[in-house]
Amino acid sequence: MTASIEVRGLSRTFHTTVRRPGFTGVLRSLVNPERVEKHAVSDISFDVAPGELLALLGPNGAGKSTTIKMLTGILTPTSGEARVAGVVPYRERERNARNIGAVFGQRTQLWWDLPVRESFSILRDIYEVPKAEHAARLREFDELLELSSFWDTRVRHLSLGQRVRCDLAAALLHDPPVVFLDEPTIGMDVVVKEQVREFLRYQVAERGRTVLLTTHDMTEVERLAERVVLVNHGRLVLDGTLDEVRRGFGSTWQVRATLADPHTPVGPLPGIALVSHDGPQVVFGPDGPAAPTVHQALKLVIERYEVTGVAVDEADLEDVMRAAYAEVRAKAEAA
Amino acid sequence: MTTLTYAWRAARVTPLGELYTPPRITAALLRLTVQVVLVASLWHGLYAQTGTTAGLSRDQAVTFAVLAVLASRLRELDQYAGRDSVAQHMYYGTIVYWYLRPLSPHRYYALRALGEQLYGLAWALGGYTVCLAAGVVVPPESASVAGVFALSLFLGQWVLHYVMLLIDQLCFWTLRNTAALLILIFAQNLMSGVYAPLWYFPHWFLTLSSFLPFQATLNVPLSLYVGRIPLSEAGFQLGVQAGWLVALRFLTRFLWRRAARRVVSQGG
Repeated sequence: MTASIEVRGLSRTFHTTVRRPGFTGVLRSLVNPERVEKHAVSDISFDVAPGELLALLGPNGAGKSTTIKMLTGILTPTSGEARVAGVVPYRERERNARNIGAVFGQRTQLWWDLPVRESFSILRDIYEVPKAEHAARLREFDELLELSSFWDTRVRHLSLGQRVRCDLAAALLHDPPVVFLDEPTIGMDVVVKEQVREFLRYQVAERGRTVLLTTHDMTEVERLAERVVLVNHGRLVLDGTLDEVRRGFGSTWQVRATLADPHTPVGPLPGIALVSHDGPQVVFGPDGPAAPTVHQALKLVIERYEVTGVAVDEADLEDVMRAAYAEVRAKAEAA
Repeated sequence: MTTLTYAWRAARVTPLGELYTPPRITAALLRLTVQVVLVASLWHGLYAQTGTTAGLSRDQAVTFAVLAVLASRLRELDQYAGRDSVAQHMYYGTIVYWYLRPLSPHRYYALRALGEQLYGLAWALGGYTVCLAAGVVVPPESASVAGVFALSLFLGQWVLHYVMLLIDQLCFWTLRNTAALLILIFAQNLMSGVYAPLWYFPHWFLTLSSFLPFQATLNVPLSLYVGRIPLSEAGFQLGVQAGWLVALRFLTRFLWRRAARRVVSQGG
């Protein structure tokens, strides 16, 4: 199957001027500015299959938004190649625009002084969407995002949640096969977040859209993405499923068992380490990259020992990502 | 047909924003009325003791000044209130959306400006009709003068569009254009004859102005209207306006291409 998004060795370097500290430093910078290179994205490669939702994760300044800007055609890469729905976005910007939709966080593409529906009509005509198709799509978006209660309101009077829902609809009005979402739910309340997640799930599962999502909200990642790409300092650190991320970064689960006989000899199991043993209380954790999932570990423990009670502690994705960010930061500092 | 539809939609963005905000229309009407009354009174007062100055009679001077006020309405729509100025799009990072649509930024900008100027023209024409009926301005001397004036005003507004675009394009390099905009507004008003017809200024100032595009925007068409520039010289003046148009068109197209490489919004 041809990937919807193909990224090969993509890099982007910015040249910026650094201001020296202090009054004399500022004056010197005016006369003799110090130019530095900043490698925002370095040699990143990955694919996104049609109908897949990929979460592009990383700490602030990792290069996520720069990657998205290259894939939407806003920025031209310094080197490397990218294709989105078969189009090189930065070479054929206008052709690419018909294949993609994008939402950049709280930045709205709607016209501030006009009612939302007027913005939708402008976009309909710019993208040359037939009227009947436009009306049908608006009905569908209204069912999922409940837009009709405020789409006659001017954009300046909308709440953040209402505005972002309208922006999502605006980005998909021309039925693009590929959608880029750069922190779309930032600042939203939990109810609206859930509504937006449901909308995205529907767009991927039912409409077959390919979605590239950046977010710092791990609940969102857990609920929407099966696969993640982790970047840091512009470099790709990991490309894998959520399970692989969990396994790759630190102790992510513990199985606590209460033995029926406290004198039973206890030892490690395949891929499972004995974390502690205190009388009848035994704690197991994953051992190395080949460790089983928490459910497999639970099964193994119950099969191997006679237990009167068992509990599972699983680190949430937030903890996993914290560990992942800490590890990549440590590696970067060591290098 | 579809091109016409999106052109129509893009062109009406700013006027529609204004129509959705009646207080802005009331304020514009009030301001225009006050400006016309004050300017007409001022020039009547200045000519109380004199017949002809700088080659302009009282009626010519008053007509010139009032038409300058009305013409200033042609491009006075409030993009800033609608968060739709290039400077604001750069500041908020929303300029990226201009590059994410199958309509190039320069075409969108041009269509939007066209709509603004047509809307402004409706205001100016309304004001002109009232002023003409009230005897505040005199009509053009002949149909030929009216025709040449209309053509010259059209070219002048086109030149002004490019001058404003140049200032907006500055934002791609400086993020903000407030200072440049203030300088431009002052230079434009001074050197195009909005504050006072250029004929009252010293010779060296007129020479300096002839090297800049501002007098092509308003001073030339209004001078043609009041007869300060005779029809025999109209061809040359129209040629100068057309020359500015071509030069500014090439410069702004070049800057659009350069700007496209610099679209970097805040953050990320």
